[in-house]
Amino acid sequence: MGKRITIDPVTRIEGHLKIEVEIENGKVKDAWSSGTMARGFEALLLGKDPRDASYVTSRFCGVCYSVHQLASARALDAAFGARVPWGGTLLRNLVMGAEYIYDHMIHFYHLSALDYLDVMAVANYTGKDPALNKVKEKVVGLVKRGDVFPLVPRYEPDEFSVKDPDIVISAVKHYLDALQMQVKAKNMGAIFGGRAPHYQSIVVGGFTQYPDVNQVARFRSMLDEIAQFVNEVYIPDVVAFGTGPLLPLAQAGVGGGHLNYLSYGSFEMNQSGKQLLFKPGVIIGLNGGMAVKPFDQRKITESVHSSWYKKDTPKHPYEGEQVFDLTRSDAYSFVKSPRYGNVPMEVGPLARALVDQDPTILGLVKKQGVKPGAVARHAARAVETKKVVDAMYGWCDELTTAMTKRGFKIHDTAHWDPPATGEGVGFFEAPRGALGHWIRIKDHKIAGYQAVVPSTWNASPRDERGVRGQYEESLIGVPVPDPENPINVVRVIRSFDPCLACAVHLIDPRTNEIRKFIVE
Amino acid sequence: MIEKRRKPLRSPYKHILILGVGNLLLSDEGVGVHIAQRMMKMDLPPEVQVVEGGTDGFGLVNFITQADRMILIDAVKGGGQPGSIYRFDIDDCPPYPDLFKTSVHQISILEVINLSGLIGSIPHTTIIGIEPVCLEMGMELSPSIEKKVPKVIQMIEEEVEASLSR
Repeated sequence: MGKRITIDPVTRIEGHLKIEVEIENGKVKDAWSSGTMARGFEALLLGKDPRDASYVTSRFCGVCYSVHQLASARALDAAFGARVPWGGTLLRNLVMGAEYIYDHMIHFYHLSALDYLDVMAVANYTGKDPALNKVKEKVVGLVKRGDVFPLVPRYEPDEFSVKDPDIVISAVKHYLDALQMQVKAKNMGAIFGGRAPHYQSIVVGGFTQYPDVNQVARFRSMLDEIAQFVNEVYIPDVVAFGTGPLLPLAQAGVGGGHLNYLSYGSFEMNQSGKQLLFKPGVIIGLNGGMAVKPFDQRKITESVHSSWYKKDTPKHPYEGEQVFDLTRSDAYSFVKSPRYGNVPMEVGPLARALVDQDPTILGLVKKQGVKPGAVARHAARAVETKKVVDAMYGWCDELTTAMTKRGFKIHDTAHWDPPATGEGVGFFEAPRGALGHWIRIKDHKIAGYQAVVPSTWNASPRDERGVRGQYEESLIGVPVPDPENPINVVRVIRSFDPCLACAVHLIDPRTNEIRKFIVE
Repeated sequence: MIEKRRKPLRSPYKHILILGVGNLLLSDEGVGVHIAQRMMKMDLPPEVQVVEGGTDGFGLVNFITQADRMILIDAVKGGGQPGSIYRFDIDDCPPYPDLFKTSVHQISILEVINLSGLIGSIPHTTIIGIEPVCLEMGMELSPSIEKKVPKVIQMIEEEVEASLSR
């Protein structure tokens, strides 16, 4: 029996996640992934006007609100029979594009980079660059005051960590710069989203707010700044890390897991919606020559075999329910186990890149011998950020042209009223991966609602066949030479960009000191 | 001799942010959001900006760095009776935000404030917190918390007034 260690909670992710691993001979032998927070917000929607769904679901999460809003609006589009005009699609694409930039930059710099850097090395910087010396001063000042967040909590740096003070300090500077950039990305979304957070403008049938020329110009000038950052800072950083100290991890494919990949496809590139920026598809096992099969939503099921819900057979999301059963001793997670044709899938940027046969990622595989795993996920995320940024210029151009034409439309107003009965599914490739919302309507009201979110795919527990979820499988064999410092475990888990929040936001001091400030 | 009245000092604050945060789907957890939504409809001095922050984390850095004074409204588990109202300054909080747990990114609003300090300055921050009764799923406040809302709004207005006349 190996040594068991538990990481609870995994920090610098979104939401509550517990990872338990069994270590034998310096390697992970078995792993369990538990979502430790109950969801089930779908129950709130039952009996409501279907049009409320896109607003309510945008409150599922404080991070990914817009993607829920869009997936929900899409499910309603399908159920109402609404046809979104090209103008509405372009606006949806632009808002979501900004979301991609925001999410991916935050993930790399603010949630992950500390796994790969010995951040304290900034103290050893001896160069003359005034900007970098300012960073040094800031970090050293924080450490002196004992106020070291956000540089902690973290594990000890290991042989793969970057320790060169010159590289570390410029990475920390980029961390601060990226903080400014994510603000810009959020502001871009808000230009068309009406407000931030929790945009208001994505509704069934399209979009609510007509853009004006000034808005498009503002959006574009912010895009210019971000594009420059992505091309000159973000991508070079990922390349420098991935092909530098992390190359052994990348080539070993640490954190690869099941090697099954699913993408729903996203971002319409033309009015018919037939041409997409990310193609839909499924890859089952990379050994079969990476054959991409067509995606069929009927093959999706969710199992509650290891989840704290009333025991039941796997169900398609249209039939899914959530009745909690906390008494089940055979369960260990609030996350269900989605499967595609009974097989667990990885979703997210790496899945999209492989399904898409992205030439940059395939080039890394061929030329650098990089295998799918934790490092490849970071690379895929950076590469697709650029892909989205480039596409956004095209959408801005198209929008500018479309706006000048007579009969420019952003909403299918003829299909605003809910049908008496209907059902529909809305898919979107959220930054974290495949997101689906399923709705059933009866008597003009919501009779059934299910959201299967990206982290459910990746973080799922074992299914009926005893097959592990993707997080669990990706940890098998991961080197943990020192059980006190399971840094590789969190590197692998964070590479997926977990988001299990859906989300409590409560100030909960562990001391009762706040009690003395009661005023009434 | 009649003392000359001093000219009123000009407020040191040019941008007062009232930021309500919380999850609208978890009953009283959303009290900050409910209050912000109501205050958005009120007639407030031009220096005041009301933002409903929902459960956003990093995205709020933007608003925080632009303000020089912030009044933060949130549910607070401080160990008092449900419905208790707390008022404390950010400096009264333990500096290490690990003491404050939330779930978004494991990044709490206090951590967001800290992050804001890395790229700009942190506004003078007062937290007005409400001890929740119910954190179950639901989009309405508990009746006893609902009853406290006018009082909280009045406190915020007094806070704004005091800030502007300082």
